Amino acid sequence: MHNRQSLLNRITNPKYIMVYATIGIFLIVYAFGAFMYSDKGFLTIRTFANLFIDNAYYGISAVGMTMVLITGGIDLSVGAVASLTGMFIAYGTTVLGLHPMTCILASLVMGVGLGLLMGWVIHYLNVPAFITTLTGMFFARGVCSLISRESIDIHHPFIDALAGWKIYLMKYANGQWVRIRPIAFINFNVILFVIMIIIGTFILQRTRFGRNIYAIGGNEQSASLMGLPSGRTKILVYGFNGLCSVLAGVSYALYVKSGWNLSLQGGELEVITCAVIGGTLLTGGVGSMIGTLFGVLLKSVIPALITFNGNLLSWWGKIATGLLLLLFICIQRFVVTSAGKRK
Amino acid sequence: MKVSRLMQSKVTWAVIAEALILIVCFIIRPDFFSISYQPSTGMLYGSLIDIVNRSAEITIISMGMTLVIALGGTDLSVGALVAVAGAISLKFLRWDVLTYNTPGDYTVYPYVLVIFVPLIVCALMGLFNGFLVAKGGMQPIIATLILMVCGRGVAQILTDGKQFTTGYSPFRVIGQGSFMYLPMPIIITIIVVVAVALFTRKTAFGAFVESVGVNPSASRLSGIKADTVILIVFMITGLLSGIAGLIYSSRIMSNDSNNAGLNFEMDAILAVVIGGTNMAGGKFSLAGTVVGSLIIRTIVTFVYYFGIVSEATMAFKALIIAVVIVLQSEPVREYFAKRARKKEGVSHA
Repeated sequence: MHNRQSLLNRITNPKYIMVYATIGIFLIVYAFGAFMYSDKGFLTIRTFANLFIDNAYYGISAVGMTMVLITGGIDLSVGAVASLTGMFIAYGTTVLGLHPMTCILASLVMGVGLGLLMGWVIHYLNVPAFITTLTGMFFARGVCSLISRESIDIHHPFIDALAGWKIYLMKYANGQWVRIRPIAFINFNVILFVIMIIIGTFILQRTRFGRNIYAIGGNEQSASLMGLPSGRTKILVYGFNGLCSVLAGVSYALYVKSGWNLSLQGGELEVITCAVIGGTLLTGGVGSMIGTLFGVLLKSVIPALITFNGNLLSWWGKIATGLLLLLFICIQRFVVTSAGKRK
Repeated sequence: MKVSRLMQSKVTWAVIAEALILIVCFIIRPDFFSISYQPSTGMLYGSLIDIVNRSAEITIISMGMTLVIALGGTDLSVGALVAVAGAISLKFLRWDVLTYNTPGDYTVYPYVLVIFVPLIVCALMGLFNGFLVAKGGMQPIIATLILMVCGRGVAQILTDGKQFTTGYSPFRVIGQGSFMYLPMPIIITIIVVVAVALFTRKTAFGAFVESVGVNPSASRLSGIKADTVILIVFMITGLLSGIAGLIYSSRIMSNDSNNAGLNFEMDAILAVVIGGTNMAGGKFSLAGTVVGSLIIRTIVTFVYYFGIVSEATMAFKALIIAVVIVLQSEPVREYFAKRARKKEGVSHA
């Protein structure tokens, strides 16, 4: 049925209205910034690249979170797991003298294991996802503090090389490639973020596993009655989200080059906010990676605007994010009710 | 029969867990249960008093949270409202730090405003949450996420991002004073718990909340104004967060918009769930919630006794809570129910 739809029909599918709203509002906010602060260089490619560089860790985590939210669940442990990853890397390299890759591998085992365990508890013991992952968050945060209560700097050639590695954006002028001015670059974190978005899109759109995720989020009971493996899918989704949290933690460790037991506190809600602004419904069944990508960009452009303004307290950023959330939820309500009427 | 029914009740498990933790505390420190009287402050001292005293904020908030969860929702904004209440009260106490530059035993605006404006503002913010849920038809977790994100920003902007301190003695009474030999927060907690219990159990309101939590449309058809119930419940939760905020800021005699009420929403939700109220909505137990809140605080005290750093208590809290939650989970309770039935079958035969 779907492949018979004309392109126009497919584009105007109400399913995508939220994504368009996110992209549209991002463009409006960006245009506003360009209009107000073009003299300070808001419109440069550097500013745009910085949106990615400064928020890559939120974006990477948001990929997994989007999937969890589409299944109708929630994961509050992501900030703490990412922070624990940072602690593993910092403590492992600086205090124990291990190679960072060993620490990252240990973190992966920890993060994915915790995710799978939480998924198992949620599905088989029927404990609400909110409570299970909250306990996971307390646990990870507590272990962070057990490792160290002080911030540990990371000094390791491997980490320095990875964090310092950057691709300069070039342009072709006068017969040769030159760096664009003002200098703009992308780093490892940005590439990781983009790769994760692509993987996430592929899983959601092109695999049976992805379709199961949507089906479970739409109605878990009917999905199970249709014979879809709802337990396995849910457990794997939480495991994948654990993977994303660890990668986000690696990316954050590269960004700040230290591990701190209280870093990324409240990060889970920032990530959920990104996903919701990107059109993911917390009731499950609706959401997309491209929406989440723009959700991350939209949420990160606000602090950028406040920095460019220079006079506002950074707290206005929180208020603006809250208002944005309110706006999006209202749009979602409107879309859902109008879609309901059309039926 | 009676025992098996008790074993199936979630509240029983909560009480057993609390008793076990207390017994372990007693074994480690035999003076754990001793309570002494300090004539200079007119207050009783002791670990038990301290646990109840320190759990006051969470107990008060979780009274409202119990009702919200019984409706089938969650309120994430309570921690932010604690910060807002503290910021407003300190703003009225000091108003302009440049003019009144030394903290002392004075208040710039009347004490009535210091107390009631934060409470009214928090109640209104709760009402805003309720409005989004009841009239906007939003999921409670999302609707309250808005104020959770904004709330601390509002608190910071109210005080220009500054931290005020005060020495006003009537304000100190709320968090550090005493009444009838007990610390004031305990007295306030008792009043709040009794008031909420009377309001829900002696009027039909509690039944309305449970009914809306189980099936909103059915209760609407049976003549319950579901919207009004939701509005009142969220307003109560906002108001109670305001009271907790006053206690918190009176304990530190300052406003701390970054840390005041941090993770309170999580602790309150845990207290409610440990206390046996189902997150899907429906039946609720206020007594269970009080026990749940005490468990959370007892764990913290318990871990202090082992001399473990305070931030790491979270890991132990998580482990103990995980055990309680697993014991309370449906499959485990069913297992116990099955065993109980089997035993009964044997005895009948």
